[in-house]
Parts: sequence; structure tokens; C-alpha cells
Amino acid sequence: MDLGHYAPLGAEALLTAVSLLVVLVGLFTKGRSSLPGYLSLAALVVAMWMVLTAETNTVFFYDSLRVDGFSQFFKAVFVLVSLLVVIASLTRYNGRVGGDEYFALLLMATVGMMVVASAIDLVSLFIGFELASLSTYAMAGFDRTKKNLEAAMKYFLYGAASSAFMLFGFSMLYGMTGSTKIADIAAASLAAFNPAILIALIFVVVGFAFKMALVPFHMWAPDTYEGAPALVSALLAAGSKKMGFAAAFRVILIALLALKLEWYMAFAILAAVTMTVGNLVACWQNNVRRILAYSSIAQAGYISIAFVVLGVASEGMTGPNNLPLDQYALAGGLLLVLGHAIMKTGAFISTAQVASIAKNSEDPDDISNYAGLGRRAPITAFCMTVFMFALAGIPPTAGYFGKFVVFGSAIYGGLVWLAVLAILNSALSLYYYLRIISYMYLREPAGPKISESKGYVLSLLLALIGTFWIGVLPDGFFNWAMQAAAALLP
Amino acid sequence: MISNAISIMIAVPLVGAVLAFLTRSRGQARLVALIASLVPLALALQMYTEFDKSSKLMQFVESYDWVPSIGVRYTVGVDCISFPLVLLTAIVSVLVVIYAWGENHRPNQFFALLLLNEVGVLGVFTALDFFLFYIFWEIVLIPMFFLIGIWGGPRKDYSAIKFFIYTHVASLVMLLAIFAMYFTYRLPDGSRTFDMLTLLQATSDKTVFPPGLINAIFAGLLFGFLVKMPAFPFHTWLPDAHVEAPTAGSVVLAALLLKMGGYGIFRVILPMLPHVDKAFVTVIAVIGVLSIIYGAFLALAQKDIKKLVAYSSISHMGFVTLGAVAFTWLSIQGAMFQQFSHGIITCALFMSAGTIQHSVGTRIISELGGLADRMPKFASLMLAAFLASLGLPGMSGFVAEFMVLTGSYPTFPVYTMLVVFTSVGVTAGYHLWACQKVLFGPILKKYLDLHDPHAYEILAMSAIVFLTLLFGLQPALITDMMGTAAHQVMEPVVTLSQMGVI
Repeated sequence: MDLGHYAPLGAEALLTAVSLLVVLVGLFTKGRSSLPGYLSLAALVVAMWMVLTAETNTVFFYDSLRVDGFSQFFKAVFVLVSLLVVIASLTRYNGRVGGDEYFALLLMATVGMMVVASAIDLVSLFIGFELASLSTYAMAGFDRTKKNLEAAMKYFLYGAASSAFMLFGFSMLYGMTGSTKIADIAAASLAAFNPAILIALIFVVVGFAFKMALVPFHMWAPDTYEGAPALVSALLAAGSKKMGFAAAFRVILIALLALKLEWYMAFAILAAVTMTVGNLVACWQNNVRRILAYSSIAQAGYISIAFVVLGVASEGMTGPNNLPLDQYALAGGLLLVLGHAIMKTGAFISTAQVASIAKNSEDPDDISNYAGLGRRAPITAFCMTVFMFALAGIPPTAGYFGKFVVFGSAIYGGLVWLAVLAILNSALSLYYYLRIISYMYLREPAGPKISESKGYVLSLLLALIGTFWIGVLPDGFFNWAMQAAAALLP
Repeated sequence: MISNAISIMIAVPLVGAVLAFLTRSRGQARLVALIASLVPLALALQMYTEFDKSSKLMQFVESYDWVPSIGVRYTVGVDCISFPLVLLTAIVSVLVVIYAWGENHRPNQFFALLLLNEVGVLGVFTALDFFLFYIFWEIVLIPMFFLIGIWGGPRKDYSAIKFFIYTHVASLVMLLAIFAMYFTYRLPDGSRTFDMLTLLQATSDKTVFPPGLINAIFAGLLFGFLVKMPAFPFHTWLPDAHVEAPTAGSVVLAALLLKMGGYGIFRVILPMLPHVDKAFVTVIAVIGVLSIIYGAFLALAQKDIKKLVAYSSISHMGFVTLGAVAFTWLSIQGAMFQQFSHGIITCALFMSAGTIQHSVGTRIISELGGLADRMPKFASLMLAAFLASLGLPGMSGFVAEFMVLTGSYPTFPVYTMLVVFTSVGVTAGYHLWACQKVLFGPILKKYLDLHDPHAYEILAMSAIVFLTLLFGLQPALITDMMGTAAHQVMEPVVTLSQMGVI
């Protein structure tokens, strides 16, 4: 066996190995070592490097995994999110009993997401999905508080249901086309249209929509993001949710090319409803993590616009500078995925910081705990402010540039109504983001000044740099996203 | 001349904002702010000496690729339309820092935000790429939000959020219009561009921009600018924002932020005016006239001196709207001069209101009286400011309004006479009435131990009063540029009579 051939999967292999090693370390040190955290950190840094330098356009394991520009992009997002979460987790979980399990699960979840990003076969896709899901189910209840357990239970039940839907859709596709390879299914559905494929499609969309938290399949997200440990919520909202998009882009785009017309309308409605409901409900929340959860739902609506444009983009339609419209829209979706992953991770880590100092301990995420945060925890408050403005789409940040490309692609695609609705939604969202900012800076402090935990601050600052980097110098990221999109499109 | 003057002008306050934010004491913060705001002023004055006032071309242009994949460039430059406003921004920013010298509530953040605000405003006035323009346009909202929200009065939360959302929504409408231009027009090689001048020139191409589309784009842009000005009936955010904002915030808001709307009219609206539905001209003129009259009457009814000044701003900015669409050489020149002149005068007015608030503790006119007795220096400066605002000959406000009214008469005789006969009297009335009530008459007993305000407040106000006199007596210092600018706006297009409006 030529091991060199498998080099592009090195990052996955490394993370798997380290996750097992971490458990062993925990076993021999009775979970009191601080080694697991640092090992995971080092492994993720190396994995990031391996992902970015891996040779692309290779397939593995009988055409079930493919390393290409698209998978590389998503893998980089997942590793980045995990990296930020691990840095923040060092103070919270490292060296405590159970810390080893936490880091092992986190690495496992990352590997699962990375497998999904590469999967070109429904079976490997499902395996990746379940690996990531099972790991995060356990993480959601990690602190074993009542709230945690409730969140984990909800997440698990909804997650299991979504897996069931998805698997049912997959099995129908397999039954009708005789293959689990995404490319074969695409070819078969193009060759002969079968109404049953439409039914399979609905199940697959529903399954993915649960993971992406699209309305009306979003109900679990606010409860779970609110109840899980804040750092885990960061991983869920920024990482595993994006896994849903990675899968959806691959499967729906390729496998169901023949049904373009049908699913484009479905996604147009899903996108419109998702962003509107997400933003409207967020305005009524008083729990910051619930606000972030609904904002995350709304953002999923914006990203879904890319699906819609892909549905309407026909041969020869072009975006700016004669770039093919489908590629441009997909690149916009990817940029939003990347930007949102960074901003949301940062925002949830900020809530973790606040929860750790909350005065009102009954609900540590209540917005009243954010009063005067600008003076109590200046770095956290400043970073949180930037993330809020960025999520609202104020330039020059990652949030603005991603929205610019996606909304623009909708206009190119003739979906002006959707672009207008998205922009109006963006304006609406400003209300609740500003509300958090106004609590942090315009109110009297709810408690004394505190020392901010170093791990949190470091990962917040990294996310801050990322947010501005994409916004101020978007060209490199845009080109990267365009390449990633090109790898996926036929 | 220093190359990259404009970039340096924008970068220095930005760096200054970061440094001021990091300082630990008030002394350091204000020193950083003063130095960082003096640099753009020095550069602006240097540019003024080298500026070719007779040229219709962009000067001091810098252009670099920024996001080439989607046709965004970093392009900045100034011409006769924008340079006076750059100068205004540089002057006002320094004076605001001086006026706020004594700020002791979170001074590092306060001065950092003032500098960040200067960055945004300078960027708006110099950007020549719509993408860049929009970014600066939005950046301005952030420091203003915090200035109102942190240092503001009792209803600061409400006012700050209202200010942000109201003007942000207007910006988004403007952004949609920019999108529409960007997505419709292609350069000869098939690529897209955000270049402002190219796009504005292209809008006259009826094959690219059919009438329906051009009208929609025009309406979107116009809405964005009218809200910012603010013109009746989109003005409701302004009194709230002004009343709650700290003095320095009000000054910056009125002197600089409102000018962004006016600048948009000259830079973007007027070049498109000949190509859009002629009904727009009437609508804009009516909005201008209503703003002038309505603002003046509302000012007359105010009990709070700061609110009075806020409504007077709406009234005075109405002259900009009216003069711009009257579209004669004189009226456009006057409207541009009104932008500059109002920028200066309103500083002095808000500083007066602020000083009264700081010294006396109230701004309610009926509770004030006889301040001149104890605060003679302040009283003379305030009186000068109010006289300048009501349009006393010899001061810049008179020159501007005279030019607008004279220039607008040929186009809109009825509207102009309406303005002359209603608002001019009312304007004089509320200014004089306020001065009389606040400054003169017998001093109230409770104010016997008042004294003149701090030297830095007096210094800032004196400088402004000096400028109103300077530009009132020697308007050519700056009207030369506006004359060229007015030609520039009108030249490539036909006049209104040729357009069939009058």
C-alpha cells in the first residue's frame, strides 16, 4: 500500500490519532493533566497547515472521499472554528476532570465535519455526519447542569430525526439509481426523470435543513445554543451547522441537477422565510445566546440565497467581470460561511466570558448581564461589538463583503425581490445587534471590573483579526472561494 | 506637494483614534486627538495653496487596485465640489477637539470616536469609488452612535438606536441604487466598475439605463441623501439625536454629517438630474421649500435652545436642496456655499447651547435670562453666532442665502418669494428672541455667581466667529471654487430651460 497516496488526508488522520492519544493521556493521568488541551491545539495548528497545503483533486477509498478545492475550503473553516474554540476552552476545561474527553470529542467532531466536506458518496457522507453529530451531542451536555442536559436531549432528538429523514432520502436515491455515488446519482437523474426522485429530494432537503437550522426546522437551535456550554454552542453554530451547508452544496447541487426548477423555488421560499423569521424573533429575545441563535438562523437564510441563485443560473449567465454566475453565487455563499463561522465563534466565546462573570446567575446569558460590559471587560466588549456590527453587515468587515457578493448574485440572477428582502432583513437585524451593543456601552455596569481570561481574549482577538482581514482585504479570500466553487461545479 | 496627501489625511486620524483609545489619561488622549486632527488641517491648507480653483478636473488623485476581482478600486481625489468640504471637515474637527478639551467622562474613548468620525467624513468627501464611498458612509454611523449613546442625555439609548437604524436604512436604500448602477453598466471590456465618475457619466446613456431604471436609481440615491440632510419629512431622527448628543457630538453631526447628504446631492444627484423624470425637480424643490419654512416655524416653537438650533439646521439645509435643483450657476454656487457656511455657523450655535448647558445647567429658554451680565465674552460670541445664523450681512450665512435666493428666483419665482416672505422673518424672529431671552434683560438671582466659560470653549467659538466673518467679508476665498464647481455640474448637461422644466 502506498501511504504517500493518502497524504492529502493527513489532517484527518492526525486529528483522529491525537483524539485517541488524548483519551489515553487522560486515562493515565486520571484526567488531571493539562496535556490534552495543548496537544489538541498543536494538532489543530498542524492540521490547518496540512489542509491548506494538501494536494487537491485526489479521490480515496473507492471514490468515496474527494479532496478538492471545495472540501479544502470547508475543512479550513472547520479546523479554524475548532482552533478558536480550543484556545478558548483551555482555561475552562484543560486540566480538569473530564477535560481529556472534552478535547477528544471536539477533535472527533472536527474529523466528522471534515469527512462530510470531502464526501462524494452518500455512505461516507452519512458516516461523517453521524461522527460529528454524536460527538457534539455528548459535548452539548458536557457540564451536566440541568440546562445542559435538556439542551443535549433536544439536540439529540432533533438531530436523530434529521438523520432519519436524510437516511430515508438517501435510501430512496439508492433504490432508484442503484448507486450511492453522488456523481452516479446525478447522471442517472439527468438521464431519466423519475418523480420518486422528487420525493427523495424532499426528504434530503428536510434532513439537511434541520442541520442548517432553516425555518421551519430550526426549533431546536435556540434551545440548544442557549442550554449547551457556551463554547460548545460556538462549535455548533459555527462548525456543525456549516457542515449542513457543505453537505447540502454537494448533494443537492450535483445529485439533483435534473430537478433544478423544483428545488430552486423550494429554497427561495426557505431562504426568505428563514431570514425573516430569524430576524423578527431575535428582536424579542432577552437572552443573548438566544439572540445569537436566531441571528444564526437568519444568517443561514442569507447563505441559502446562494442555493437559489444556483438554481436559476443557466449557462452563460455572468456576474461581475464575466465570472460565471453560478460560481460567483457559490463563492458568495462560501464567503458568508467563512465569515459567519469566524464572527459567530467570536460572539459565542464572548458570551462564555460574560457568563463566567455573570451577576444574575439564574440566567447568565440574560442581556442585563451585559450592562456596562465596556467598562467591566473592555476587550470582550470591544470584540463583541465588532462581531455584532460585522454580523449586521456594516463595512469593512467579513459580514459586509460576504453579503455583498451573495446579495449581488441574487440581483444578477434576476431575483431582485430576494435581494431587497435580504437587505431589508439586514437592516432589521441591526436592531437586536445594536441592542446588545447599547447594553454594553450605554448602561451602567452591572458589576465590578473583572480580569478577562487569557484563553478567551486570545481567541477573540484572532476572530477579530479574521473579521477585519476578510473585510478589508477580501480579494485573496474571494479568489479562494471562487476556486473552491469551481471545484464543485460541473 | 506631498504625494498621497489624501490617504495620509485619512490615515492619520485613524491611527490617532487607535492611539487615543489606548491612552490612560485625559491629557494624553486630548493631546493625541489635537495632533491627529491638526495634521489633516495642515494638509488641507497646504492643498488649498496648490489647488487649481479654475480646474474642473479631479486633483490629488490616488488610485490603486483593491478588490480587482469585482472591480473595486481605492480611488480618492478632490475637485471643486468636494474640496471646500474637506477643508470644512479639517477645520471643524480641530475646533471640536479644542472645544471638548475638558471632557472627563471616558476621555480616551471620546476623543478616539471624534477622530474616527473625522476619518469617515473625510473618506466620504474624497472617495471616488462607490464601494469605498459606501464604506466610509457607514463608518461614520459608528462613532456617532457611541457619542450619542455614551455621552448623551437622558433618552440617549432611544436616540442613539433611532439615529443608527433610521440613517442605516436610508444608506441601504442608497446601496441598492448603487448596486443597480453597478449591475447594469459594463465597461467596454465587459467588466464592472464602482468608479463613481464613470457610472455617473454612464447614467446618461439611454441604452444602458432606460428611463424607468434611471428614475428608480435616482429615487434611491435621493432618499439616502435627503434623510442624511435631513429634509422634511425625513428629519425626525435629527432633533432626537441632537438633543441627546453631547455638544461635540451635536457639532459634528450638524456641521459635518448633514453635509454628507448635501455632498451626495452635488456629486451624485445633480449629474443625473437632466436624465430623470422632470417631476423630480419639482418634488425636490418643494421638499427644500417645506424644509426651510417648516424648520423655521418649528424652531420658533421650541423651548429648549438646542432643539431650536436643531430645527434651524433643517431650515438652513433646505436652502441647499432648493439651490441645488434651481440649477442656475448662482443658485448651485450658493447652495454649495451654504453647505460650507452652515457647517461653520452651526458649530458656533451648538457650542453656544452646549456652553449654556455646561455653565448654567439648563437649556430651557424660559429659565434663562441676563447671562450677558455675568458672561460677557460668551454673550458676545453667542450673539455673533446667532446673527450669523439669521443671515446678517457681512457674515457668511448672508452671502450663502442671498446667492441661493437670487439664483433660485429665475427658476422658481413662486417658491423663492414664499421662502423670502415666510421664513426670513421667522428666522430673524426666533434667533433674536432666543438671544434676547437668554442673554439680555435683568440677570436672574440664581445666576449671580456665573462666570465666563473655560478658555478653550471661548477659543473654539472665537475661531468660528472669525471664520464666519472672514468668509462673509471675503467669500471669494472659497466661492471661486464653488463657481467652478457649479460650471462643472452644469456644463455637460443642458439647463433646465432646455430640459423643458421652465
